[in-house]
Amino acid sequence: MMKLTIGHLYPDLLNLYGDRGNIQCFRKRLEWRGIEAEVIPFLSGDKIDFQKLDIVLLGGGSDREQELVCGFLKDIREDFQAYVENGGVVLAVCGGYQLLGKYYRTDKKTIEGLGILDITTEWEPERLIRNIVLNSPLFEQPVVGFENHGGRTYIGDHTPFGKVFYGLGNTGKSGYEGVVYKNVIATYLHGPLLPKNPQVCDYLLERALKRKYGDGVTLEPLADELEHKANSYIVDRYSDKKYILKETIKRYT
Amino acid sequence: MRLRSKLAIKCAKATSSLIKKMNRGSGVTLPGYVARLIDPKILNEMAGQVREKIIVTMGTNGKTTTNAILCRALESEGKKVIINRTGANMLNGIISAFVLSTDKKGRLDADFACIEVDEIASVGVLPRLTPDCALLTNISRDQLDRFGEVDITYNKLMTAVTSVPKTTLIINCDDILSCSLAENSGNPYVTYGISEQIFDDISRSEIRESIFCRKCGKKLEYDFFHYGQLGIYHCPNCGWERPQPDYTAEHIELHDEVYSFDMDRLHIDSTARTPYNIYNTLSAYTALKALGAGYAGFKEMIEAFDYGNNRESIFQINGARVQLHLAKNPIGFQQKVSLVLKDPKPKDIIIQINDTYQDGEDISWLWDVDFQYLADSNAQSIITAGTRRHDMGLRLKYEDIPCGSTTDLRASVLDRVENGTKNLYVIVNYSGLYRTNHMLTELEKTCGKTGEGKAEQEKSAAGKPEPGTQGQNREQKGGERA
Repeated sequence: MMKLTIGHLYPDLLNLYGDRGNIQCFRKRLEWRGIEAEVIPFLSGDKIDFQKLDIVLLGGGSDREQELVCGFLKDIREDFQAYVENGGVVLAVCGGYQLLGKYYRTDKKTIEGLGILDITTEWEPERLIRNIVLNSPLFEQPVVGFENHGGRTYIGDHTPFGKVFYGLGNTGKSGYEGVVYKNVIATYLHGPLLPKNPQVCDYLLERALKRKYGDGVTLEPLADELEHKANSYIVDRYSDKKYILKETIKRYT
Repeated sequence: MRLRSKLAIKCAKATSSLIKKMNRGSGVTLPGYVARLIDPKILNEMAGQVREKIIVTMGTNGKTTTNAILCRALESEGKKVIINRTGANMLNGIISAFVLSTDKKGRLDADFACIEVDEIASVGVLPRLTPDCALLTNISRDQLDRFGEVDITYNKLMTAVTSVPKTTLIINCDDILSCSLAENSGNPYVTYGISEQIFDDISRSEIRESIFCRKCGKKLEYDFFHYGQLGIYHCPNCGWERPQPDYTAEHIELHDEVYSFDMDRLHIDSTARTPYNIYNTLSAYTALKALGAGYAGFKEMIEAFDYGNNRESIFQINGARVQLHLAKNPIGFQQKVSLVLKDPKPKDIIIQINDTYQDGEDISWLWDVDFQYLADSNAQSIITAGTRRHDMGLRLKYEDIPCGSTTDLRASVLDRVENGTKNLYVIVNYSGLYRTNHMLTELEKTCGKTGEGKAEQEKSAAGKPEPGTQGQNREQKGGERA
C-alpha cells in the first residue's frame, strides 16, 4: 500500500482560518483512494526530519504569532530549503507564504523569513479582505478562496499561482496571486483552499506520489460533485457583474 | 437640551416610522444614522440623560444573554433601563436604541443603560457613552474577515477601554486575552472566573487563541481548558498566572438538564442548560456588584430567568419537537454540537450557513469546528441550507458524514416534521435567525402543536429539495469511496 507522510508545521502557532481543513482534505482524498496518510504535527521547537516528509503544510498565523515562529524557522531553514530544491511538496498559506520569502516588514518591525522564495512582503494598514477567484494555468477549473491579509507580497521573477479574476491578490494591484515554484504552491487563499479546489489538492498529491513512487503513479478520479458545486457557486457569483456591483456598493456604505 | 439634538431625535423617529410603514424590516440602524448625521454628539447627549449608571457588554460570545440578565436584574428592582435588545450593537444601532426610547419632548426616562457593543464599534461607542462599567465576556475567534485577526480585536478593545480610563472593567480571568487586556489597560477592573472543570470534551475545540504568554512569548501551561483558550493557565517561564477571581461559581452540578451552583454565598438553582450560561450569569452578577445595584434580588430573578432569549427556541410543530439554535462562530458551534450529542434520541438536523456581511463573508471557520462527533449523534438525516450550504456539506463530507442540501428551508422543515424522527434541530448562523424563527413560529401556529393533517397540504405547496439531497448522497457514499 502506498503511503504519504504530511508534516503540519507549527499548528500551535500557525493555525488560522480553518487551515486544518487542508490537512483533512489531503488525508481524506488519500484514504478514499486506498492510500495511507500519516499526519505529523510539529509543534514549535520540535525537531523536523524533512527526509521523512512527502508534503509540508505551513499555515497562517497572526503577525504576533508569526514573529514567534520566525525564531524556530532559523533552525530548520537549511533542511527546509534542501527539501524544496529536491522537489518536496509544500503548501504554504498566507502567513506561511510570507515566511517562505526573505522578509515581512510591518510598521513596527521586520520579520525575517526562510528566504526559500525570492519574494518580499510589506505591510500596509488597509487589509485585503474578500472572496477571491483565480485562473491558474495549472488547472481548467478556477481556484476559489478567501483572502485576508495586511501584507503586500512582491514576487519578483517568480511564476504566480494564478491570475486574479475577482479579488485583490498579492499586492492588490498586480493582478496576480501566489507563487508556484518547483513543487511549492504558496498562496494567500484561505477557505480553506483545498476542499473547494480538489484539483489543487490532487495536483499536490500526485506530485508527492510521483516523487516517492515514480512517474508511473496516477490518481484515480473521485466523485467531486459537491466540491464542484461549492467551487462553482463562488465562480458564478463573481462572474455576475450585477452581483459584484451590489457587493461593492455594500462594502463602501 | 440643544435644539440640534431635538431635531436629530425628531428626524430619527420620523425615519423609524417611515421604515415601519414601508414594512422594510425592523429599522434599527438607519434612525441612528440619521440622528448622528444631524447631531454628531447625539450619543453623548443621550448618555448624559441617564440618571444613574451605564454599563456596556462586549466580547465574542454571550453578549446578548449577559446584557439581558443585567437588564432584568435592574428592572426587577424597579429601575428604568434602556437596552439595545435587537442585537443592534454597532454605533448607529445603539444611537437608535436611545433616541427611539425618548418621550415626545426628546427626553430619556432611564435610570440605567445596558448596552451591548460590537468589538469593532467599541472604539467609537465607548468615548461617547463613557460607561461606568464595561463587561467583557471573552475574546476569541469570530468573524475574522471583519476583524482580521484576534489580535486586531484585542487592539480595538484596548483602544476603546483606554479612551475611558475611569470605566471599571469586568473581566473573565480564565481568558488570558481578557486578563492581559485588563492588566495592560490601566483601568480599574474586577475579575470573575470558574475554577472547576465544567465543560465536556466535545465542547473543547482544539482551536485556541493565544496559548502563548503575552508577557514573555513562551508556551503557557494549562491545568485544564474550559473551552477555546479559556482555562486555568500559568507561564512556566515568567510566572504569569491566572489570578484568583474576585467572583466565582462553585459546586456546579447538573440535574435534570439544568445547572445549580453557588456564587458569592448564594445557592442558585438556575434554568441554564449549558455551562456557558453559568459564565454569563456569573459575569452579570459581578458587574451588578461593581455597579452597586440590582444584586439584592438576584437569586429570585435568575432562577426564573429564561436564557432562551429567542436564540434557542423550542417549537412544537405537528407533534414534532423542533429546536432552533444560533451558531455563529467555531466556539459557539462547538457548544451546539455538544448539546446535540447530549440528546441520545434519534434526530434530524438542518444546518443553515449564510455568508452575508452580518454573518461574516468568510466561512472557513466551519473547518475549526470538530464536526466528527456528529457521526455519533444518532442523526437520521442531516440537511444543509443557506447560501454556503455546499461548503457546509463539504465540511461534513470530509468527516465521512453523509448529508443532503436544500434551497427551501421551509419545505425541508415540513418534510422532516412529517417524515422524520419528530426531533428536529435547526442550527443557523446570524442572518438566518430572524427569518427562521419567524417561519417556525408561523408553522407552529398553522400546523398546530399536535398537528392534524395541515402539514400535508403545506408540503405539497412548497418546493422540492434540490437534487443531491440526503437519500441520494447516502447511496452515493459507498461507491464514491470505493
